[in-house]
Amino acid sequence: MKGMARNPSLTVGTAIVAMLLLVAALGPLAARSDPTAINLAESLARPGIGHPFGCDALGRDVFARVMYGARLSLGVSLSVVALSLVVGSLVGAIAGLAGGWIDETIMRAVDIVLAFPGILLAIALAAILGPGIVDLIVALSAMGWTTYARLVRGELLSLRERDYVQAAHVLGASPSRVVIRHLLPAVAGPMAVQATFGVGGIVAAEAALSFLGLGAMPPTPSWGNMLDAGRAFMLVAPYLTMAPGIAIGVTILGFNLLGDGLAQLAGTRS
Amino acid sequence: MRYLLRRLGTLVPVAIGVATLTFAMIHLVPGDPVVAMLGETAAPADVAGLRHQLGLDRPIGEQYVDFLAGLMRGNLGESISYHRPVAGLIAERFPATLELTIAGLVVGVLVAFPLGIVSGANPGGPADLGAMGFAILGISIPHIYLGPLLMIVFSLDLRWFPLTGRGGLAHLVLPAVTLGTALAAVIARMLRQSLVVVRESDYMRTARSKGRGAMAALLIHGLRNAMTSVVTLVGLQAGALLTGALITEMIFSWPGIGRLLIGAIGARDYPLVEGCVLTFAFTYVVVNMATDLLYGIVDPRVRLE
Amino acid sequence: MGRGRRAVGVLMLWAAAIGCGRPAPPPSRYLQVDIETSPTATDPRFATDAVSSRINELIFDSLVKVDRNGRFVGDLAESIERPDDTHIIFHLKSGVRFSDGRELASRDVKFTYDSVRDPSSASPKRAGLEQLKSLETPDERTVVITTVRPYAPVMEMATYGIVPAGTPLPRKSIALAPPGTGAFRMTRYVRDDSVWLERNPYRPAGPEMPRGILFKIVPDPTVRALELAEGICDVAPNNIEAEVIPYLIARSDLVVNEAPGDTYQYLMFNFRNRDLSDLRVRRAIAYAIDRRAIADSFLRGTARIATGMIAPENWAYEGAVTTYDFNPAKSGQLLDEAGYRAGDDGMRDLKLIYKTTPEGGRLAEVIQAMLRRVGIRVEIRSNEWATFLSDLNSGNFDLASMRWIGINDPNHYYLVFDSRMTPPIGLNRGRYNNAAMDLLVEEGMRTIDPIRRRAIYAKVQQLAAEDLPYVSLWWLNNVTVLNREVAGFEPYPNGSLRSLASVRIVGRSGAETSQ
Repeated sequence: MKGMARNPSLTVGTAIVAMLLLVAALGPLAARSDPTAINLAESLARPGIGHPFGCDALGRDVFARVMYGARLSLGVSLSVVALSLVVGSLVGAIAGLAGGWIDETIMRAVDIVLAFPGILLAIALAAILGPGIVDLIVALSAMGWTTYARLVRGELLSLRERDYVQAAHVLGASPSRVVIRHLLPAVAGPMAVQATFGVGGIVAAEAALSFLGLGAMPPTPSWGNMLDAGRAFMLVAPYLTMAPGIAIGVTILGFNLLGDGLAQLAGTRS
Repeated sequence: MRYLLRRLGTLVPVAIGVATLTFAMIHLVPGDPVVAMLGETAAPADVAGLRHQLGLDRPIGEQYVDFLAGLMRGNLGESISYHRPVAGLIAERFPATLELTIAGLVVGVLVAFPLGIVSGANPGGPADLGAMGFAILGISIPHIYLGPLLMIVFSLDLRWFPLTGRGGLAHLVLPAVTLGTALAAVIARMLRQSLVVVRESDYMRTARSKGRGAMAALLIHGLRNAMTSVVTLVGLQAGALLTGALITEMIFSWPGIGRLLIGAIGARDYPLVEGCVLTFAFTYVVVNMATDLLYGIVDPRVRLE
Repeated sequence: MGRGRRAVGVLMLWAAAIGCGRPAPPPSRYLQVDIETSPTATDPRFATDAVSSRINELIFDSLVKVDRNGRFVGDLAESIERPDDTHIIFHLKSGVRFSDGRELASRDVKFTYDSVRDPSSASPKRAGLEQLKSLETPDERTVVITTVRPYAPVMEMATYGIVPAGTPLPRKSIALAPPGTGAFRMTRYVRDDSVWLERNPYRPAGPEMPRGILFKIVPDPTVRALELAEGICDVAPNNIEAEVIPYLIARSDLVVNEAPGDTYQYLMFNFRNRDLSDLRVRRAIAYAIDRRAIADSFLRGTARIATGMIAPENWAYEGAVTTYDFNPAKSGQLLDEAGYRAGDDGMRDLKLIYKTTPEGGRLAEVIQAMLRRVGIRVEIRSNEWATFLSDLNSGNFDLASMRWIGINDPNHYYLVFDSRMTPPIGLNRGRYNNAAMDLLVEEGMRTIDPIRRRAIYAKVQQLAAEDLPYVSLWWLNNVTVLNREVAGFEPYPNGSLRSLASVRIVGRSGAETSQ
């Protein structure tokens, strides 16, 4: 408990993330109305009793949609971060450990993907794969993995030169052992920071992709498609964009604090 | 110098890779430049005729080889929808994109430094919370939302800035802020992190115990340490910045290469799409080479192998 | 928080110092019209989309034009004779000049039509001239059109914009439109950005009339609204959200002009889907859509419930047809009768496609929610134009939510419902195939006598409403938001912006010139 007090970021971050996960799991119970039920008579209804965040253009309850949207937005973000992280780390580790032409080839491939405008990749994937959650995760991961690959490789290269790793190597430790014992903890901090930022970036990217017709299939609510649908009514019904906007903000805040806390934790351990 | 040559050498495979990826993607996407051009009422014979005229009826492999061969000679081909050489179109529009991107970068850095310093100097304090709150807000607002929001507040309500279009400095402010905000947030956070690490270091503990000048020492050491990270980050964010420029151009009617690209995709103007994407990719690579070089200047310990 | 706030404050001050002053006004005496997309063609021999046509009408004249009541009246033609069923004689006005100073003569008309008909032109408008046998010019002022056989919609052929003889095909020239005899000439065109028109120096114009028109391409709906509110944009035709208009009017010097329109919104069935080829299923879907509720609340009353493709203003309109008032109970009953089997979860699956636009997306979601109530699960696919068109023509859909803009001659029924007019030749994308319909629309095409022709199309409209190749949704009103300084704007049912040629700008100081 003493650690808790010294690491408020971790405490608050964990609390927010736990709350978000709880909302995602139980939100449907909290929201009394069906997020996909239209009621044209209440199109763009202002916030009030019954509809704390008002209604969208089709008269759907924005509160219910934000609650349900948590499930999708968090699910997609976490899946994309996990997929990008695993793929990126593996590729980065292979490049960093193998060196030579393998490293060279992999890093050129990373350069190509990084240099390719992400939005075009998304448009193309949207048209080729079609809409849907799985395709959305694939498209976002296709853009996201490179950062992790670069990060892991960079850390590997710089750590390889450090004395204790050299020593472990000389002592006959196998490369995989070196990676697990020394390199992984060292990479964990920057990775956690990157991953938590990733969650925010992905929630925002999901909104941009909704705009292009890729993303959650209607009528499934996601914060991204809510933000996009509300954009046309920013002048008359700002609550349509504010509700998902705040949800996105809180999510990013929570994950950032969690990331900070984790980084601090990793820092004190090593 | 040798390093620079080596880096320039890697440009070629990257360019070919990007060109190939673009070619594959745009051809895999359903739709056809001729149908997009002639519209829904075109006679099939006319569609076939125009396809032949544009060389689109040849085997895809042959088109690819032709395209690469042209590229090698520095020929980007002719736009299908503009009936003009792609290179000329890009040369016309690129300065606007460059202007916007640089302005976005400037806004990002100008906003990030005060924020990062304020929060890194006293982590956990109210200023830190405020600055990081702003940073989080900056990351969480997508361009497509922030742009119109800035327009409503600063153009419609306050009448400080023009709404859209390219012109003097006043025209540049809102798009640059739209583009630079997310970058500012990312850099500010990175700065804060660096300052916090320096603050906790033994060196700083000593400096602090001596009392005076602790703040100055923190800034000098912290910022010096942070510079390399910031430079790397700018390189890493160059792609995001360019993608952001694309959307920002759409919102602010900015006559840059992003709007050219979106229009070209809609028209399935293959040569123009390829030209635009290559320009984006080339810019990205050049920015990264520049940040690598800067790296050496900022941190002399880094040797460029 | 304190210091962070201050940083923002400093940023604002800094920004204010640079911004100093109000946004630059648009070029004086230019009228700015905001549109959503670029015209695809600036040459009238190629333009088929609505945006291109709207702009082309201001630059080019044709032998005849459609007036505000949907009738063909002489434009370049001073008088028209119809000696028999296959000939029409147009007598041209004299003293008409192109914007480059040349005087219009019959050879320009002949050249225009010949260059469209030339196979090497690859013009999408060639198909519309299939029935044209010959175009003769016995003298400078006379044009004689001969059709292959009696062809009722012949006047549609006479609406092609006329270019000067010798105008090269656009693929070999620059992107600017060629000179026309209309009120304006095109002086600048930046694709996906702006189209600049300036007055034709050879056409008289009043002192208060704008010197030119700037069509600015603004894809974002909020930005269009803001441009209106700030007085940058003068005219926004049919592209401001109905809900936003009252807000704009309340705080800016704007007026709204709303008039009945003939833009027809419909839901198309794909007959290659075996379930949809059953009339009972199509009727069930028609009964499941509450069009009244959508028009009243969701469209804020800016639409009229449609009975068929052509609007009541059209001479051929027939209102006594089968209608489908919202009736979910009957819908469910019809689906059961048809034996349209549901999956294990009690739902049937259909795919609905539409061209990506914000309002298209909302409509698709409303239809999706309404069909779900009768046990049909709709998967929505939205794509931009090129992909959408490719899905339409290849039949990769069950339902398509679409619009027809500016239908004049009822021969449109032939183009969209005749069984021979399937893609890639025609527009029968649902592959509707009904021998009775084929007979009627082909007869309507050959029948010149207006009374007999009207009777034929009355039957066509009754059959279409009965057999439901389309579910008719509504005709959209034309809602134009204008700056109060713009006087004399007159709406056309087909959305034409022709009257921009004669609007006046009142109360604007013409002193500054900024561009």
